[in-house]
Amino acid sequence: MYRYDEFDHAFVAQRVSQFRDQVERRLTGEISEDAFKPLRLMNGVYLQLHAYMLRVAVPYGTLNSRQMRKLAHIARTYDRGYGHFTTRQNIQYNWPALKDMPAILEELAEVEMHAIQTSGNCIRNVTADHFAGAAADEVADPRPYAEILRQWSSVHPEFSFLPRKFKIAVTASERDRAAIQVHDIGLQLKKDEEGRLGFAVWIGGGQGRTPILAKKVKDFLPEADLLSYVTAIMRVYNLHGRRDNKYKARIKILVHETGVETLSAEIEAEWSHLKDGELKLPAADIAAINAYFAPKALDSRAEGWAELAAWKKSDPDFASWVGRNVAPHRHPDYGMVTISLKPIGGIPGDASADQMDAVARLAEEFGHDEIRVTHEQNLVLPHVALADLEPLYRALLAEGLATANAGLITDIIACPGLDYCALANARSIPVAQEISSRFGDPARQAEIGDLKIKISGCINACGHHHVGHIGILGVEKKGAELYQISLGGSGDENASIGQITGRGFEPDQVTDAIETIVDTYLAQRTGTAETFIECYRRIGAVPFKAALYGSEAQAA
Amino acid sequence: MKTAPIKTKVLTANRLSDGISVWLGANGEWVFSIKDAFLARHEEAVVAIEAAGKQALDDNRVVDVNVIDVEETASGPRPFRLRERIRAEGPTIDYAPASPARVSQAA
Amino acid sequence: MTVIWTKHGIVENDPWIAGDAEKAPKLLSLADALAHAQDNAPFGVVLQPADDVMALAPILGQVAIIALSFPAFSDGRGFSQAALLRQRLGYSGELRAVGIVLLDQVPLMLRTGFDSFEVSHAPTIARLKDNRLPGIDLHYQPSADRTEAGQSYSWRRTAIVNG
Repeated sequence: MYRYDEFDHAFVAQRVSQFRDQVERRLTGEISEDAFKPLRLMNGVYLQLHAYMLRVAVPYGTLNSRQMRKLAHIARTYDRGYGHFTTRQNIQYNWPALKDMPAILEELAEVEMHAIQTSGNCIRNVTADHFAGAAADEVADPRPYAEILRQWSSVHPEFSFLPRKFKIAVTASERDRAAIQVHDIGLQLKKDEEGRLGFAVWIGGGQGRTPILAKKVKDFLPEADLLSYVTAIMRVYNLHGRRDNKYKARIKILVHETGVETLSAEIEAEWSHLKDGELKLPAADIAAINAYFAPKALDSRAEGWAELAAWKKSDPDFASWVGRNVAPHRHPDYGMVTISLKPIGGIPGDASADQMDAVARLAEEFGHDEIRVTHEQNLVLPHVALADLEPLYRALLAEGLATANAGLITDIIACPGLDYCALANARSIPVAQEISSRFGDPARQAEIGDLKIKISGCINACGHHHVGHIGILGVEKKGAELYQISLGGSGDENASIGQITGRGFEPDQVTDAIETIVDTYLAQRTGTAETFIECYRRIGAVPFKAALYGSEAQAA
Repeated sequence: MKTAPIKTKVLTANRLSDGISVWLGANGEWVFSIKDAFLARHEEAVVAIEAAGKQALDDNRVVDVNVIDVEETASGPRPFRLRERIRAEGPTIDYAPASPARVSQAA
Repeated sequence: MTVIWTKHGIVENDPWIAGDAEKAPKLLSLADALAHAQDNAPFGVVLQPADDVMALAPILGQVAIIALSFPAFSDGRGFSQAALLRQRLGYSGELRAVGIVLLDQVPLMLRTGFDSFEVSHAPTIARLKDNRLPGIDLHYQPSADRTEAGQSYSWRRTAIVNG
């Protein structure tokens, strides 16, 4: 993984001093809250319902053990002993004091971490496929490009006061595990006919109040042109994106209102001035960043095959965990292990400091010191020998981290919702907990198969409900919580925006409604091979609406 | 002249230094429990707490200052809005981290 | 109090104070500047965020000063306008930030090519007078300011001390 050089260390140290100065000026009253807010947001500090919240960047979701231990230490020392992993591969703390923020940032800097641009109207943490560098199906590791973008976007003088936040995601497989079509810029690393690396470029995807899938503006952008082309997009957006209405300020609205052809022509025109300038990436620089991500030297561990087969035979729980949470690695003797942060009835994405320490220890022992955070709010050990799966499983079991539900109905994404968030209209976590408990039986989950439920507590859609196979959106109606359900969303390479089923459900009806939807699927599917989303796409919304609303729906 | 009856109101904010939720108490200090909040039961009192809130904001002691409606109950003031009840009582979930003893991982 | 600040300090008796129409009759809007470009009298231009800076190209040689407006702290269009003026149009005259100009924007404004600042916020003025800017002198991207490329990756720059 990437390691800071002197320049990076000095930069982050200066950024910490800068923020310390900003916090001091705020605490002494030299700057008002109005002026401070954009400054604190640009360093990941929110004011939530009960306290400040600090969001720490995990660039493209990659961590080592030392960094994870530091996150645990911060949770214990400055917070209440836990943290929350987010849909943008970051971690957030719910209770830190403003006056402690500079100290926390200094601690983070010790392990090459920061909170730069984890909020605010600037270029946010660049996300990537959580299986990058390990997946069998990738063209090349996308993270070096995410790292180049991370560096280039850090404290960018021209793009720190954009119309709205700006999110970039990079993937390198046909199978999109980074949800690039719902990002402001989505980049798919690919090769052209001559075998040269470059990107398909999408712009204007996003969720929120107006969910829109991204449009492709370039089929192949040579890798050397990455920064110049992204600069052209950013400049056109910064100058022309709407600033009169925050709900219309994302680039997706600019794309929609201008038209993708007109806008991409404007981007091309701007790019023509930039492409052969100083932003052109020299091959040597790309190679140097790539060297940090050189594939791990993985020893042959062929004994794991027989051992794994024997263990699976003797322990069905272990077998089902392997079946759900271990994906094939590029190296046949290894697997990519998903550590579920979705215990049955638990809080999606939360991990205790002790659990973080445990993951750090296990990553060192079994995982070549590498950890990933997924946008589905789980952790991953990307390089585990099959021969080590059984002891790893035992250790995870002891920490409450061996839930065998990756991709199943209880692997729910949920935003913090009204239990924490100042923007929320309704709670998300209790809804997730109740659904998880209702469907917690392993046999029932296995019977239902792949199904993604995503829950947001407000229209900002941090819980990605628009791209949930089943999406749940909490709203406030007449002072009470109400939940709208949508069906048919997907955030992968076949991305789609879910359609609302009809009138909303009161809090105590939501889980029943989900059960009705699931039962309808089970009754309608052609067989166990037809997943929920495939079935929905075949039969459409009507049978589900009829089941949910009965004659009311038929009348409508 | 008697002023028209209004919904009882309290003043709430978050403390600048640590963001903790606070309410304006009867003695003019910010308190940590809504039970100790000053109850504004008529227009003059509301004007007074609004002024106190503006002053505390200008003095950079608190942020996000709001006057909220509450119902007076036997156990103390209860905000009408769920949001404010959660601010007063904390998250509705058992947010202490999952431990193997407490959370089933049968799946 | 409104002052004009540059890297050399507070400017006394600046003729272009934009906020005061009486004292600064020669700071024109984009449309007026284009219309009056034939006049011999020196004039400056004050652009609003929605103005197209490229429209200044034909008259750039006659303009004594360009002011870019920041109507709100959060409106960052002026940063791109400045970059275009400096890097695309090669404008080398005075480029001033006016409107809501607060301390923490100033280092970014300097990077994108501004060299003078109309400031009203008292704590900002105090810090500028002391030359205590909250900037970072290591940069991950080239911009309009004079910097050193150094030995590192092509996109990195370091500030030139006293540059």
